[in-house]
Amino acid sequence: MLLRHPPFALLIGILTVLAGLPLLGLPNTALNFLFFVLVIALAGQGWNLAGGYGGQFSFGHAAFFGVGAYTTAILQVRYGVNAWLGFGAGIALGSFVGFVIGSLSFRAGLRGSYFALVTLAFAEVLRILANAAPITGGAAGILIKLDVAPANFQFASRAVFFWIALALVGAVLILNRMIEQRRFGAYLVAIRENEAAARALGVNVLAVKLQAISLSAAITAAAGALYAQYFLYLDAAIAFGPWISVEALLAAIIGGAGTVLGPLLGAGLLHGLGEITKLAAGRVPGIDLVVYGIVLILVVAFAPRGVIGLFTKGDKGGEPTSHG
Amino acid sequence: MTNKTPILSGDADRRTILKGALAGAAIIASPAVLRAQTPTVKVGILQPVTGALAQDGGFGRLGAEIALKEINDAGGIKSLSGAKLEMVFADARSNPEAATQEVEKLNGEGVAAIVGGFASPICLAASQAASRYDLPYIVDVGVSDQIVNRGLKNTFRLGPGFGTVTTAAVTNLVKLNEAAGKPAKTVVLVHEDGLFGSGLAKLMATELPKHGFEVLETIAHPTPSRDMSNVALRIRALNPDLVIPSSYYGEFVLLARTMQQQRIRPKGIYAVLNGAASNFRFVKEFPDAAENVMDCNHWHDPRKAKSAAVMKAAADAGSVWAYNIPLNYSCVKLLADAVEKAASRDRAKIIEALTNSTFEDHIMPYGPTKFVNGQNTGAGPVNTQVQGGDIKVIFPESFANAKPVFPVRA
Repeated sequence: MLLRHPPFALLIGILTVLAGLPLLGLPNTALNFLFFVLVIALAGQGWNLAGGYGGQFSFGHAAFFGVGAYTTAILQVRYGVNAWLGFGAGIALGSFVGFVIGSLSFRAGLRGSYFALVTLAFAEVLRILANAAPITGGAAGILIKLDVAPANFQFASRAVFFWIALALVGAVLILNRMIEQRRFGAYLVAIRENEAAARALGVNVLAVKLQAISLSAAITAAAGALYAQYFLYLDAAIAFGPWISVEALLAAIIGGAGTVLGPLLGAGLLHGLGEITKLAAGRVPGIDLVVYGIVLILVVAFAPRGVIGLFTKGDKGGEPTSHG
Repeated sequence: MTNKTPILSGDADRRTILKGALAGAAIIASPAVLRAQTPTVKVGILQPVTGALAQDGGFGRLGAEIALKEINDAGGIKSLSGAKLEMVFADARSNPEAATQEVEKLNGEGVAAIVGGFASPICLAASQAASRYDLPYIVDVGVSDQIVNRGLKNTFRLGPGFGTVTTAAVTNLVKLNEAAGKPAKTVVLVHEDGLFGSGLAKLMATELPKHGFEVLETIAHPTPSRDMSNVALRIRALNPDLVIPSSYYGEFVLLARTMQQQRIRPKGIYAVLNGAASNFRFVKEFPDAAENVMDCNHWHDPRKAKSAAVMKAAADAGSVWAYNIPLNYSCVKLLADAVEKAASRDRAKIIEALTNSTFEDHIMPYGPTKFVNGQNTGAGPVNTQVQGGDIKVIFPESFANAKPVFPVRA
C-alpha cells in the first residue's frame, strides 16, 4: 500500500534524498546519467497519466516529446525568444497537440489498440514533416547555440540540470498523488476499467479523457523541452522517433502503470541496471542492452503489474484511496 | 595451472579456486605495474559498435587501432620520453545521448583527447559535451557542416564537410560527362530522407539543370527500407541516363541488386557519400550489381606508401576495406602528431598544437593539414568506380589509378 499510494511525506522524502545526490560530489558521469533517467521518467510520467491511470495506451508519445523539444528550439533559434519562455511555450504547445490528437481520436471512438495505432501514426507523420520542413532544419536538424548562461537555460554545472529535472519529476509526482485522491483520478480509473459503465454512471468520458491526454502531453512535452536544452541538438529521429514512445511506456509499465512512483522506478531500473552492468563488466559492447532486455523479459514474465505490483499483492491496480 | 582448467571442473576445491583467483588478480594487476613505469597518454576512441551504425563503428575502431599499434611499435610519443598511447574505447551506441554519456566517462578516465563519432548527430553532441572540459575532439567522418560552424575551440575535422563533398561531386560529374562527349542528359535522384540524402538531392536538383542535365524525378525513401522494387520500377519507367543514389549501405545494396535483377541499365550509377558503393563487402558479395558503380566519397590516397600497409593490417585483422578505416587511422595519427608537438598531455596545449597543425603523414589525399574554425581546409572527396571487382580511383586525375568506364551501357 505504501508504495502504491505513497503518502506525501514519503514523496517529499524521496525527492529530498535524490536532490541531495549532487552534493555528495558525484562525478559528472553519474549526474549526466541520472539526468537522462529523469528525462525518461518524466516522459513516462506523462504516458502514465493517460495510459496507466486512464487506460488510453498511446504508442505515440514521441509526438508530444518532439513538439515540446522543437518548439523551444525553434523559438530560440529562429525567433530569438528567451529559452525559459520557449520552454513554457513548448509545454503549452505540446499540451495543445495532445488535445487535438485526443479530440480527433476520442471523438472518432478509437479505443484500445486502435488508439495505440492512431497515436503511432500521428507521431510518424510529425517525424516525416519535421524531416522535410525548412523551419525544423529538415534532415540536418536544428542546433541551439551553445551559450552557457542561466538566462539561456544553459548551465555549466550538470547538477543544476539535474535539479531542474528533479523538480519537474517531483511536481508531477505530487500532482499525480493529488489526482489519485480527487474525483478526476477516480473518473480516470473508472474509464480504464469499464468505459461504458463509467458513462452510465454519469462520468463525462470525453471531457475526462481530453483533460488526461492534454495533461499527459504537457508532461511529456516538458521532457522533450528539457532534452533540447541539455543536448542542444535535435533532428526528426531524435524528437519524433519511436524510441521515446517506447521508453516512455516501458518506464511506466516496468515500474508499475497507474502508480505514482512507477515511471521513476521503471526508468531507474531499466537504465540503472544496464549502466551498473557496464561499469562492472567493463567495456563489453552492448552488455547494457542485454541487461535491458533481460529486465524487460523478467518483469513481463513475473511482474505483469510492474515492479511496484510485486510489493502490493492483492491490491487492485491504481484504485483511488478512500479520499476519492 | 598446467593441467586441465581446474576452476571449471566440478571437483574444484577451495584452494584451486583461490589459486585461480590469485593468478587472475596478478594478470589484472600487472598492466598497472607496467603503467607505473612509463605513463601512457590515454586516447578516447568513440565509435558506435552497437545499434544501427555498428558496422561503420567497427571499421572506425579498426582504423584507430591500426594507427595506435603503429605509433606504439615505433616508440610512442618521443617528446614525452616514449610514452605509449593507450586506447580507452567507448561505445556511442548509435545515438547522441549514449555518446554524451560516454564522453563524460572518457573525461572521468582522464583521456587527453577523443577521436571518432562517425554519424553527424553523434559528433555534434559528443564534441559539445567534450567542449565543457576543453577536451580536444577530432571528428572522423560526420559531414554535417554544423559541426565546425559552432565556434567550438576543441573540435577539429580532418575530412571534408557536406558542402565540399557535394560541390566536388557536381563538378566532377560535369567533367566526367563532358570528357565522354556528354552522353548523359537525364537524371533520376534516389535518396534516403535523412541528412545526407535530402540535402544532397536538394543541391543536385538546383545545380544539375545549370549544367544542362534534366532531373526527371527525385525519389525519397526512408532508412531502413526493406524493398526497393517500386523505386526500381519507377526508374525503369523514367529510363534516365544517370541514376544518382545517396543512401546507406543496406538500401543501396538492395536498389543495386533490384536494378540488376530487373535488367535496368542506365549509362551510369553515380553515387555520392554512399554507404555501399565504396565498400568492399558490397563488391565481394554482389560483384555483378556493383560493377561500374561510381561514388564520390572519402577515400585513401593510393599513391602513399603507408596506404598499402594500412590495407594489409586491416586485411590481417579479417576486415574488408572501407573509408572509415583510413580516416580514423589518419585522425589518430594527426592527434599523435599534435601530442608530439605539444610535448604534453595538457588538453589546452594539444588543442593549440592541433590549431597550428601542418600534419602530412596521413593517408588521405589532402596535403598538409590547415585548420580554419576546426575544419581542415585542404580536405576533399575523390571519385571511385568499381572495376573488375576492385574499387579504383577515377578522379582527381592527379592520382587516379584507373580510367572511368562511362557510359556503361554499350
